[in-house]
Amino acid sequence: MLSHATARDWLIPYADGMLAADERRRIDGHLGGCAACGAELREVRELNLLLVTLPPAPPTSVAPFWLKLQAVLPQRRALRIPNFVGYRRAGLAFALASIAVIAAAATAFAAPSALPDNPLYPVKLIEENVQLALTPANDRLTVQLQQAGERLREAQAMATDHKPRLAESSLRAYTIIVDAAAVSLKRPATPQVTKDALHALRAKLDAVERVNANRDDDVAGIKQLVAAAVDELDRLEQQESVTAPALTVGEQATPDPTPKATPKPTPRPTDDGDRRERERD
Amino acid sequence: MARAQDAPSIEGDAEERRLIDRSAAGDQEAFRQLVIRHHRLVINVAFRALGELSLAEDVAQEVFLKVYKALPGYRHEKPFKHWLHRVAANAVTDALRRRRPIVSLDGMEQPPASRESDPLDVATRHDLQKAVRQAIASLPSHYRDTIALQAFGELSYEEIAKTLDIPLGTVMSRLSGAKRLLRERLGDLVHGEEANTA
Repeated sequence: MLSHATARDWLIPYADGMLAADERRRIDGHLGGCAACGAELREVRELNLLLVTLPPAPPTSVAPFWLKLQAVLPQRRALRIPNFVGYRRAGLAFALASIAVIAAAATAFAAPSALPDNPLYPVKLIEENVQLALTPANDRLTVQLQQAGERLREAQAMATDHKPRLAESSLRAYTIIVDAAAVSLKRPATPQVTKDALHALRAKLDAVERVNANRDDDVAGIKQLVAAAVDELDRLEQQESVTAPALTVGEQATPDPTPKATPKPTPRPTDDGDRRERERD
Repeated sequence: MARAQDAPSIEGDAEERRLIDRSAAGDQEAFRQLVIRHHRLVINVAFRALGELSLAEDVAQEVFLKVYKALPGYRHEKPFKHWLHRVAANAVTDALRRRRPIVSLDGMEQPPASRESDPLDVATRHDLQKAVRQAIASLPSHYRDTIALQAFGELSYEEIAKTLDIPLGTVMSRLSGAKRLLRERLGDLVHGEEANTA
């Protein structure tokens, strides 16, 4: 028999439909003979009614909301790198010239191997962006893969140096580069070179994960980013294997417009065939 | 009363994860996609809590700004939507407390006597909703945060447990405690009514 106190404790989950069937039956039994609990249950349901009738917002447009939000979003380091797309020609020339001067001056100080904890690291990123912007479209994929590899080298170095946040930042930058190169990776100009580059990236990802795993305080964030990056490489390599054209030489290289019918060999009877024949009979 | 959200597909999860990682790295276009996906959820939570669209949009802006700033520390250990609900619930309850009138709820305008004959009366309903919001704002924080997820976020007990990282039993006891206090503080508003829903 359910006590009055227990029944009162269960009235709210009962009204919310959160009790198991046997518990509900016990409450039902108690409610049959307890006017106080019956009255309290009505109050609980009235309160629930008030809570669920709080209305949703009327339809609103997300576009002006985003514009207002975008105006106050802080700029992260990756975004301070200028994006040259859309610049007018004069602006582009001026920006390129300015950055080239800055980059040239900074190159003397900033080694191409500067790591993310180096104050001159942003200069290195600017140089990379200039390099990518000036690279002909056909060669962009090669540069992007080199830059992706460089991000992984940095991630490994930062993980080794117990700077997990910088390692994660480099891994995220790697992801962005690979995402940006995804379209080109579907149809690489030099499939074998690209394949080798993807293998090299995979080896570097393994190295980052090994460094992270060997630390006493290995970082889950690095592990997750590496796992996601490896999944993405798997996906890209699968795409590549599906879409890569087969290398054909000789007669097969130029197939006839209407292929000749290939005579099929007469199938030999097998035990299975015999059995099917017998079953048909 | 709570409605379970549809589980996102694995592909949807992967796409969302990619958007989150890119946003964390500073890609505002990726963050725009995230905002488009979750804008309605946050606006609804804020509007249910505050009852005014302009205020709800201001709080939603706060929520997404906090999310953007905190994204580099997000570790995918819990679904993004749960985390977003938690940030939104905190922001709206803070906003509610900021707006809470100094006067006691006892002095709040009571609904007119004709309420029972016309329960859908718009003005009366508006008063009731305002009273409920103010009563929620007056709760102790652990009750307030839990019931905000149910009343404003429309989360189920299980979703609240996952969002707050607390056991289901704790959700039950907190919601029970919160609703007892709400009944006390709302006084006659929930007394003597014939409820029609479970």
